[in-house]
Amino acid sequence: MTRILVLFAALLALIGWSAASDAQEPLRVDVTQGNLDPMPIAVPDFVGASDEALRRGADITRVVANDLASSGLFTPVDQDAFIEDIANIDLRPRFSDWRVINADALLVGSVTIQEDGRLVVGFRLWDTRLEEQLLGLQYRTAPENWRRVAHRLADAVYERLTGETGYFNTRIVYVSEGRGIEGEPIRQLALMDQDGANPSFLTDRSYMALLPNYSPSAQEITYVSFLDGQATTYLYNLETGRQEALFASGGAGAASQVDPDGQSLSARFSPDGSELAVSIETRSGHDIHLFDLQTRNLQRLTQHPADDVEPSFAPDGERIVFSSARGGGSQLYVMNRDGSDVQRITFGSGRYTTPVWSPRGDLIAFTKQVGGQFLLGVVRADGSGIERILYEGYFVDTPAWSPNGRVLLFTRGEARSNGTRYEIWSVDLAGFNLRRLATGGMASDPAWSPLIE
Amino acid sequence: MRGLVLSLFVHVGIIAGGFIYLPRMSHVLESAPIVPVELVTLADTTNIRAARPDPEPVEDEVPEETIDDVIAEPVDAPAPEPDPVEAEPEIIDTEPETPAEPDPEPVDEDPEPEPEPVEADPAPPPERRRDPEPAEPSLDDILGDLSRSIAENRDPQTADDGARRNAVGNGEEMTATLQVMLRSHLARCWRASLDAPEPDELAVQLVLDLDRNGELTGPPRLTDQSRVLNSPNPYLRVAGERALRAAVQCQPYPLPPEAYSQWRQIEVNFSPSLYGG
Repeated sequence: MTRILVLFAALLALIGWSAASDAQEPLRVDVTQGNLDPMPIAVPDFVGASDEALRRGADITRVVANDLASSGLFTPVDQDAFIEDIANIDLRPRFSDWRVINADALLVGSVTIQEDGRLVVGFRLWDTRLEEQLLGLQYRTAPENWRRVAHRLADAVYERLTGETGYFNTRIVYVSEGRGIEGEPIRQLALMDQDGANPSFLTDRSYMALLPNYSPSAQEITYVSFLDGQATTYLYNLETGRQEALFASGGAGAASQVDPDGQSLSARFSPDGSELAVSIETRSGHDIHLFDLQTRNLQRLTQHPADDVEPSFAPDGERIVFSSARGGGSQLYVMNRDGSDVQRITFGSGRYTTPVWSPRGDLIAFTKQVGGQFLLGVVRADGSGIERILYEGYFVDTPAWSPNGRVLLFTRGEARSNGTRYEIWSVDLAGFNLRRLATGGMASDPAWSPLIE
Repeated sequence: MRGLVLSLFVHVGIIAGGFIYLPRMSHVLESAPIVPVELVTLADTTNIRAARPDPEPVEDEVPEETIDDVIAEPVDAPAPEPDPVEAEPEIIDTEPETPAEPDPEPVDEDPEPEPEPVEADPAPPPERRRDPEPAEPSLDDILGDLSRSIAENRDPQTADDGARRNAVGNGEEMTATLQVMLRSHLARCWRASLDAPEPDELAVQLVLDLDRNGELTGPPRLTDQSRVLNSPNPYLRVAGERALRAAVQCQPYPLPPEAYSQWRQIEVNFSPSLYGG
């Protein structure tokens, strides 16, 4: 009997425990959907001890704020709304003043001009909600490099707040499109900072230059030139200005199997910049080749009656994506760097062209022509999952990744009464933040540099 | 007698089973009434903005052939700065109204050491995290500041009416309702790391303790805080910080006070999902 009573008491205790523990159990919530709103960041003009330093500080502030805003991930808060006047960046800010104006982050900085004229730019990045300093750095540089410093600073802020590498301290090479006196098309290579500053031409008006590609590891590009009346791939070192024709008859890389009159099309660099993947016209049509820039050895990777074109390396250098009509219409394929294990990764309707492997490795950007429309999209590199379409329009061509793999540049054509107008636009991976690149006139064929050291 | 004991035993057993089983039942409902709340926010961000005119318009006919001047000498490697925060911790918070710097002493100290301490100061390593002591009171200050500022412009939330009506229902529905409310409330404050390479690996868990007004009674805690915030994966670190920021920013939590016992402590799993999980 006592045993039963003890059991009974134990049972009651169990019930009591169960009820009590249930009351204390935290409420569990799964949140999978957040907002994608840009983060408000306050960027007061950088402080300085002299008028010159103050002016430079304001310049740098403007460039930094413009960089951050252009990413679509940040909204600089209107300076007129600021309450606290930052006079010394080494004092702790009054966070409540910044929270009131909804600034989640606060970037304060100072500019000092040393006796030798060099600039010292220091900054602190604060989290106004958690009241913590997130980052504090300073840069020392020659005064003419102030824009580089501003971009670098913006990259550091971007990296700290997003977790990914920035892309502001970069340049973009592109084709500047114009018309000659008799209306003939003029296509010149041009170079500018990522934000449109410091534009310059790399080639003159006397011949057409097309399809530049940037080395991921150096200030070096390839492009296709019509200097000799036919499409020839050139290697152009932007630091030395040295140019070299590749694969042409008599040129470097000319090999017996290459048709001396054949065309070579846009060569893309391997991730370490030591090799080029290029589509060269041979007697059996276009095939993908690998060209070693040191040994000058040209190796043929594909040998298919159908044209294989537009190769692009994966960031690990082990795989190559290309487009080919071997399955009928133009589709995308990936293969090993030795040409083995060719696998088709797109199966949709339409013509898939211009595949470019993301520097992040996970995605491949492409353009696709369906009906009368062009689409810009991304697909997973293994072909799994669904395609994501980022932009759709009258004409889309030549996608190019930012070095961090978050933004795509592309040529966008709009039908006008006097012909198609070409401009370069950017869009982010989510298909948001569509912007026109700040080129002077008509432009096409963008290529993005790696981060400038 | 035996029959009575047996009957008692069986009855109590059934009741106990109910106590243990029924609350679990409520979790089955968790996912049922999901309301797609944040479509509006998404639509806002899809607005295609025209490119801003560049402050420095590019001249079309800059005929420069050379780019030598563009490739300028590289910027020196960034030098980590000493953290100055220790010098003046809370003074500014207690006197938020005074516009002038109340402490001239640190200003005198600062101008000279600023360029040099990079090499001179042995104490501050490049790590940026502050020591834990000042963190506690400063977060209290945030909460104080926030609650004050929020108290001023607090308006009767329309959502509360619905909440009160729902509160009449039974416990399981209440739990589900609270979850839906919290989910939509937190989604507003939380910046999801959606464009990270592997968003599925960026899930973080947060525990919040709330008072009856829906204010945090202490700093929100990440489960596995040191692993997340010191992770070699910068995306995970940022995901942790975004979750903490969201929890602080989302105060006060508009939840029905009569169900306070159910939301006194909340465990939030933030897991970014492209397709809404």
